[in-house]
Amino acid sequence: MSQSKWFLHPILIFVSSIVAVGLSLFLYIYWYLEVSTGLKSVIERASLDRDQILAPQTWVVILVLSVLVGIILMGIFTIFVYHQKTIQLYRLQRNFISNFTHELKTPVTSMKLYLQTFRKHELSREDQLKYIGYMVQDADRLSDSINRILSLAKIESGVYEDRFVAEDLVEVVEHFYEKNRPLFGRCEVTIHNPSGRSFPYPINLVLFEMLLMNLFTNAIKYNEAEVPRLDVRFEPKARGLHIRFEDNGIGIPRSEAKKIFRKFYQIGRAEDMSAKGTGLGLHLVESIARFHEGRVIVESKEGEKGSVFSLILPFKFPMTGSK
Amino acid sequence: MADFKQERILVVEDESHLAEGLKLNLTLEGYEVRIAADGSSALQQWKEWRPDLIVLDIMLPQIDGLSVLRAIRLEDERLPILILSAKADSEHRVKGFSYGVDDYLAKPFNLDEFLLRVKRLLTRVSWSRESADSDAGGTSSVPQLYRFGSNTIDFETLNAQGPSGRIALTEQEAKLLKLFVANRGKPLSRDKLLEIGWGYSRGTTTRTVDNFIVRFRKYFETDPKKPVYFKSLRSVGYVFDHDSD
Repeated sequence: MSQSKWFLHPILIFVSSIVAVGLSLFLYIYWYLEVSTGLKSVIERASLDRDQILAPQTWVVILVLSVLVGIILMGIFTIFVYHQKTIQLYRLQRNFISNFTHELKTPVTSMKLYLQTFRKHELSREDQLKYIGYMVQDADRLSDSINRILSLAKIESGVYEDRFVAEDLVEVVEHFYEKNRPLFGRCEVTIHNPSGRSFPYPINLVLFEMLLMNLFTNAIKYNEAEVPRLDVRFEPKARGLHIRFEDNGIGIPRSEAKKIFRKFYQIGRAEDMSAKGTGLGLHLVESIARFHEGRVIVESKEGEKGSVFSLILPFKFPMTGSK
Repeated sequence: MADFKQERILVVEDESHLAEGLKLNLTLEGYEVRIAADGSSALQQWKEWRPDLIVLDIMLPQIDGLSVLRAIRLEDERLPILILSAKADSEHRVKGFSYGVDDYLAKPFNLDEFLLRVKRLLTRVSWSRESADSDAGGTSSVPQLYRFGSNTIDFETLNAQGPSGRIALTEQEAKLLKLFVANRGKPLSRDKLLEIGWGYSRGTTTRTVDNFIVRFRKYFETDPKKPVYFKSLRSVGYVFDHDSD
């Protein structure tokens, strides 16, 4: 068991060091008062000039001590917080490595299996084509995973700065869907634009399509409905443009709603490895949204089916008239 | 030889490409193959179809492979199981072997090696089957007759003797008791108990487990309010333990 001993638990150490510091503050003051009263009586007995010796006020001493102890406490607290963050990051990292390994190994395993099968057996042309199709899909999956991690690295290092072109978002989404339709299989995708107007917005097309791809595939991947459905709605609101992605998938528990955008985060139990994927998709979505000065929020109707991801962009409506 | 009967292999794998590729190859080798895409269907097919060998993936939706393995090992210690997993480090291998797997192969694997290992496992089983015909039963890691304190459980006849007298155990009770005995001294979470003991993960409340524990305490504890054997662990689950005699 890799469980560390209970007395090494960070919270326990934290609490006990606070108690120790507090206690020492109390003892400092207590002893100080004791010594100074002793001193006072000596002074009185020796009938010396009081002010000369006890010039530094008790007050000041207590104040200085308290301030110092306060600083120490703050220091401990800061170290504690950083420590916790480091541990959390480490855990996420481990989770990521294990999941990403799986994500990379699965398509490789499948491809290798089919290639070895081809070497071993003479299959009919029909079968060959079918399995070659599988291998192509596996290769795509692999390159998707690789692209994801690379583009995240690129966004984080700011390679995509200043490559924005104003495009109509409705058109972009429609075009994106048309282009990638085969990927979404039997999922019913509908794009609603009740206002009927266009929404030109400066975007980086490569990144924006990546954002769409992640939201679309999530809607299908985490879906157990007979016919997966995704509704994309453009809703102009006072404070910006909301693009809602509503699916009928398994939804997201409210407690997880904030966490899912964290890097490497995945719903599921790392301990029994029920989580899958890279844990990067939604983090990527959020990074891209922020890159476009927008943000992403998620609502999930627990109990009811499905979740709603909203991309909110600071769209200034007066600037453009309707078509 | 008794080669009339095709040997059955159950492939538990949720990645459809991989599952199909394995099925293709095993079928070409002359085995009868079925695929289970998740843990619960694996357990169901294991019970209904009675395969001769199981190829098991660990990362599965709902019930993971290791829970499937433990559930099977409660009832069948002999069935050869080969784990095929992307988790290749020794930590995971050791875990797999400690739960009673026969062989462990890391992904990506070599096809020939995989097929040879499968063949070998099946051959060895056929040997032990020939010699096993004479000694009946004893296919589980848990002894037939189990004693703790003043209690006795007979897993063969499903009878138990406790402070309150003689108890006829139900099948489910016996299964859960076996799980506790096999994991003596180790904490078991309610979720794990549900997964391994019942074979499902979602949709059922962990209350089911609690009810069984209440019953066990009534059967085997002198004072059910102050359990000695079936202890609760706050926010973890339960642990079964006793002094060895």
